[in-house]
Amino acid sequence: MAAPRLIIIGGGVAGYPAALRAIRLGAEVTLIEKKNLGGVCLNQGCIPTKVFLHTAAIFWEMKRASLFGVDIPKGEVNFPVLLDRKKKVINRLRAGVETLLKSKKVKVVQGTASFVESQKVMIQETGEVLGGDKMIIATGSVPSRISIPGGGKISLLTSDDLLEIKSLPPSLVLIGGGYIGVEFSQFFNRLGTQVAIVEVLDQIIPTEDPEIAKGLRKILEKEGIQIFTGSRVEKILSEGEEKKVFLATPSGPREVMAREVALTVGRQPFLDGLGWGKIGLKTEKGRIVVNERMETNIPDVYAAGDVTGGVMLAHVAMAEGERAASDALGIVPSPSPCAIPRCLYTSPEVACVGLTEEQAKAKGEIQVSRFPFRAVGKASLMEETEGMIKIVAGKKYGEILGVHILGPRATDLISEASLAIELEATVEDLAHTIHPHPTLSEGLGEAAMLLRGGAIHLP
Amino acid sequence: MAIKVLMPKVGLTMVEGKIVEWRKKEGDRVEKGEVLFVFETEKTTFEVEAPESGVLRQIMVQVDEIAPVGGVVGFIAEREEAVEIPLARPEAAPRKEGVPPADYRSPAGEKIRATPLARKIAKERGLDLRGLSGAGRSGRIRSVDIENLLGTPTVPPPPAQVSGEREKGKLVKFTGMRRIIAQKMLASKIETAQIYMSHSIEADRILEVRERLLPVIEKMTGVRLTITDILMKITAKAISHHPVINTRWTPEGILWLENIHMGLAMALPEGLIVPVIWDIGEKNLSEIARTRAELVARGKKGKLTPDDMKGSTFTFSTLGMYGIEEFCPIINQPESAVLGVGAILDKPVVKNKEVVIRPMMKVTLSYDHRVIDGAKAAEFMKTLKDLMEDPLLILALTGEPEWLHRV
Repeated sequence: MAAPRLIIIGGGVAGYPAALRAIRLGAEVTLIEKKNLGGVCLNQGCIPTKVFLHTAAIFWEMKRASLFGVDIPKGEVNFPVLLDRKKKVINRLRAGVETLLKSKKVKVVQGTASFVESQKVMIQETGEVLGGDKMIIATGSVPSRISIPGGGKISLLTSDDLLEIKSLPPSLVLIGGGYIGVEFSQFFNRLGTQVAIVEVLDQIIPTEDPEIAKGLRKILEKEGIQIFTGSRVEKILSEGEEKKVFLATPSGPREVMAREVALTVGRQPFLDGLGWGKIGLKTEKGRIVVNERMETNIPDVYAAGDVTGGVMLAHVAMAEGERAASDALGIVPSPSPCAIPRCLYTSPEVACVGLTEEQAKAKGEIQVSRFPFRAVGKASLMEETEGMIKIVAGKKYGEILGVHILGPRATDLISEASLAIELEATVEDLAHTIHPHPTLSEGLGEAAMLLRGGAIHLP
Repeated sequence: MAIKVLMPKVGLTMVEGKIVEWRKKEGDRVEKGEVLFVFETEKTTFEVEAPESGVLRQIMVQVDEIAPVGGVVGFIAEREEAVEIPLARPEAAPRKEGVPPADYRSPAGEKIRATPLARKIAKERGLDLRGLSGAGRSGRIRSVDIENLLGTPTVPPPPAQVSGEREKGKLVKFTGMRRIIAQKMLASKIETAQIYMSHSIEADRILEVRERLLPVIEKMTGVRLTITDILMKITAKAISHHPVINTRWTPEGILWLENIHMGLAMALPEGLIVPVIWDIGEKNLSEIARTRAELVARGKKGKLTPDDMKGSTFTFSTLGMYGIEEFCPIINQPESAVLGVGAILDKPVVKNKEVVIRPMMKVTLSYDHRVIDGAKAAEFMKTLKDLMEDPLLILALTGEPEWLHRV
């Protein structure tokens, strides 16, 4: 029997893991990518932003090095070197993906795919028509844009542009205080830019626990970032080199001057040029509608990753891509994970998994514990004592429903919580697990102990 | 040395028993002969005495769990010694009633794959996870699997004290017996085409017979003859002349039964039981009286075995002692009919165009119209009335088993 032919449109974090999975399952895979392998994550998302933030963190540590008994003469950020390093990291990782695909004999086609019929696509640049038994659409997303009065005449930057910025702007207004905006705010602020965030909802990182968001806001404001929540940009006017941003804030109108204004209002599924209308693909608010198995309404056509909307995170896209490939090749995918961690790479970091206190309350009786990092020895010796670990658990059985961390290495600490939720562990399980000393992970154990008669390191 | 406490076999047909009560807690001292636990079968409950004196070290089968006959339900140790408990439980694992022992994918003794939450919920709801497999990766049992199996308690179970001023009361949990009664009664009403007919019977001769025979039988057997004994004897005789009454509905067809085994509905504080007088058609009145007396005595002590309550072909029910004049009993499936007998009361009746006072009794036949047509039932009732009003006729009736000719 001939190997099933699978066509994957998009070589990002949904597409390439799908390709590799499909190869392992014995398919013949063609991967079509119009620009760069690795997609948003590698080229305009996770990786470059974290390269930026890493530099900001080092710079920040250097500035307070004397605190640890290390005297460093005044350091400076070499922005061109940073940009160069970003490029190098991206290239290195992209080459890794290329090698992987090559070694697994995935046929990679450069070009823009457009559906001719449900199992046929044409490469627009070459006119080549490719047919497959199964198709996976993984075309990703692009930064969302919103229209702002006056904004049409002024070039508003997107997150993509911010990553390509050639020099550090003296001042920057970020419209949108979600994950993307907050990360950029700290990066630019720590490197010396005067930064303001404007968020229309009443907290930054609006999807997360209010206590965590509030804690983070305090830290960011202490570093000098201006934050306007519950605020709307009314209009933007040009004033010489500067831009004047008019805000409607809860305390009345405000004006903020800035050299650059960027839209960091999230991302939207990217479907341009795909010809999805031609095959009758069902979409909803610009996203492709899929079921739990990642099937679209068209038989044998799957979609995965940002293009399906929902939670636009790289690790979600990766899991979805693999699910789609497995299902397309007749393998029943294992149950989808219960807990998707959400990470913010500021310092201190934010990482959350599972339900917020409010969401959990809506589902039943709960218990909540909060353990501050100031009571964790390791955090103290790192001089990073801000933040806390918050556990939301079921009242009756103590099952872990959500864990919310604001603090050092939160993004590394969260996986234990993800595993706990994935395995339906209870607070006893977490409390009885031995956490090595001295580590930051002790905080999670102590937070669990708080719900089981009390923590060791809290009065 | 640990002594195994086993689920006993009471009655030939018993295969498993459900623990309803442990009279001792783990760690309690128990003396040989003391009641250690109580279990129930479909039919009734039994007390089991400790086989040896010692300390109840471990309860292996908890309340509401079912153990097979011969299965180890606990251990008694001579002293407070450690007891080596076999990892794999004996024979078949005890299981919660109503939970299918489905999906035996893991051999006994294998580690249970279940999430901590699933374990907690299972423990609380008394579900044995052994042998079950769940929807999680590698068959791990998750909380959702238990909810699927037992239903989701979306709201906490209603408190025993019902809320609201007007609904004061307490919730009494079902006993197994109550559950069985409920199931059987409802099934009978749903699955059979029950219909009823009554006759009024002059009971003076019955009373005379009792008066005449009571001292005789008491002398012979030590048992006081009851009206019920006489009525059962007469009913059995009538049935033998109308074998359609002594039938059983089966999926394949109607089973005509040769022998008449009469169930006698009997009220216990816990509920209804129906002990059986075997071959009542072959028994004389003193035998019937003796058997009845013995069954009633054992029933009151809770000493009836499941076999005592099995195999009846027709049921006789009376509420005469409560003064009830007339009632329609529910057919005791898989039988085809049941007789409900009311009290004997002095009533004005018309005799030779004159109103006279006679001791009267109403008998009602509930019968399954799938098997017995109305006319056939009426013929039986006619015979029954004739015999009850003049029991001497029994002597005149031929002993021919007419049923052979009718089939």
